[in-house]
Amino acid sequence: MLGTLLLGGVAALDAAPVAQTLLSQPLVTATLLGALWGDWHVALEIGVVLQILAASTLPVGARTPEDYATGAVVGVGLGLALASREPFAMARESAVLVGVLAGLVAATLGVPLLKWQRRRNEGLARWCEAEVRAGREGALGEAHAAAVALAFAVGVGYCAVCLGLGLWALDPLVTRHSLRLSRAWTLAQPLWLGLGLAQLLSAFLQRRLARAAVFGAALIGAWIALMVGTP
Amino acid sequence: MSGRVTRGDLRRMAARTFLLQATFNYERQQGLGWAWALQPALERLYPDPAERRERLAEHTAYFNTQPTLASLALGVAAGLEERRAAGEGLDAVGTSRVKSVLGSALAALGDRLFWFTLRPFAACLGALLALSGSWVGALALWLCYNVVHLRVRCSGVGWGYRAGPEVMSGAVRRRFERLTAVLGVLGAALVGVTIAFLLAPGGSPQPLVFQVALAAGLGLGLVAAQRPRPSPTEWALGVGALCLAATWLR
Repeated sequence: MLGTLLLGGVAALDAAPVAQTLLSQPLVTATLLGALWGDWHVALEIGVVLQILAASTLPVGARTPEDYATGAVVGVGLGLALASREPFAMARESAVLVGVLAGLVAATLGVPLLKWQRRRNEGLARWCEAEVRAGREGALGEAHAAAVALAFAVGVGYCAVCLGLGLWALDPLVTRHSLRLSRAWTLAQPLWLGLGLAQLLSAFLQRRLARAAVFGAALIGAWIALMVGTP
Repeated sequence: MSGRVTRGDLRRMAARTFLLQATFNYERQQGLGWAWALQPALERLYPDPAERRERLAEHTAYFNTQPTLASLALGVAAGLEERRAAGEGLDAVGTSRVKSVLGSALAALGDRLFWFTLRPFAACLGALLALSGSWVGALALWLCYNVVHLRVRCSGVGWGYRAGPEVMSGAVRRRFERLTAVLGVLGAALVGVTIAFLLAPGGSPQPLVFQVALAAGLGLGLVAAQRPRPSPTEWALGVGALCLAATWLR
């Protein structure tokens, strides 16, 4: 669990404050958590759905997008923790559904926290400018170190609170209603994947007919190749 | 007599661009990160501490662009400051105007390339590979994005410094636009392949319920993509709540 929380901090850093190398993307954090918990299947099931939904959420301009970085760590971590307590296939599927939903909720609720950090950075920027004018050029480096430390701490803290609350509230639900939750997963998974893929398709097509034709040809070609390729 | 910006300074600036957004805020956006990244060049160009502090404080003002392409703007700014320190070129107002124009131009190009095309493309490629349960998907996603991202981040400062304010009017711009167009076409094909794989993973078709639900999700997503609100996440939460309600009431 400690590794999961630390990954939450690292993901919060990579999302915007440091480097933006996409280490914070749900599929990457899910894969790392899958290795950490020794359960690729559950981690990737949650990670793929969250990844496809996250890919259409864009940090353009000054917009504060949903926080899929910590959201995915919460969702995948919770799904893995719940699945590790239930050995049955149906209970594992319900843990996956709960993991995706928890990830989406955590990503949405993380937005006010990001806005709060950005407002704190406004004060930091004003302080820093005054210090530089007063002759302390090192204030720039100190301000950056403080902002990075704050982002990491908020990421770890937010993941810890969400995982703690999630385990406390959702463990009995998964144990008692695994059949219903597993059925809901059967329905929700393709709907979520379709919803996210359509957003991606729309971003790629840009209302260009030639690209739509390429999409159609690739879909039919791949489907035929998959069907014919099977002995 | 002020010096010239060295290769070492450009390398230090490139390293500091990784923290460009560390102090991102609504008032100055990337302003503080910009000043910190430019500091090595200013230290070289302005030996007089009072003058250097004045320049540094100037650069903490508002600045915003696509973070990867900000490297190019930083290189241009270093070149402008070099001429300014030598008593030629633009004054504070002129430098600020060039920064603002470059920021907008780079944001327009960078948002389309990195946020609207490369990131979704890498995500789709990673998801397609991960659907078969392999960890390779995450690696493919990370590599696919960073081959371009890290190259521009690390080399962009040098490109901007050498080309000056005209950096976006030549070969660099054409190369980025071509890459965006190619990735757009490849991305459309990749979504097609992903949907085919979801319908018949490994050649065995999924149950009818799955296929119908996937088609419904695609239809809903295409309609939802025409409007900025509700966001994809809000749609996904709504869909999840509906599925839970449907199975509970059944």
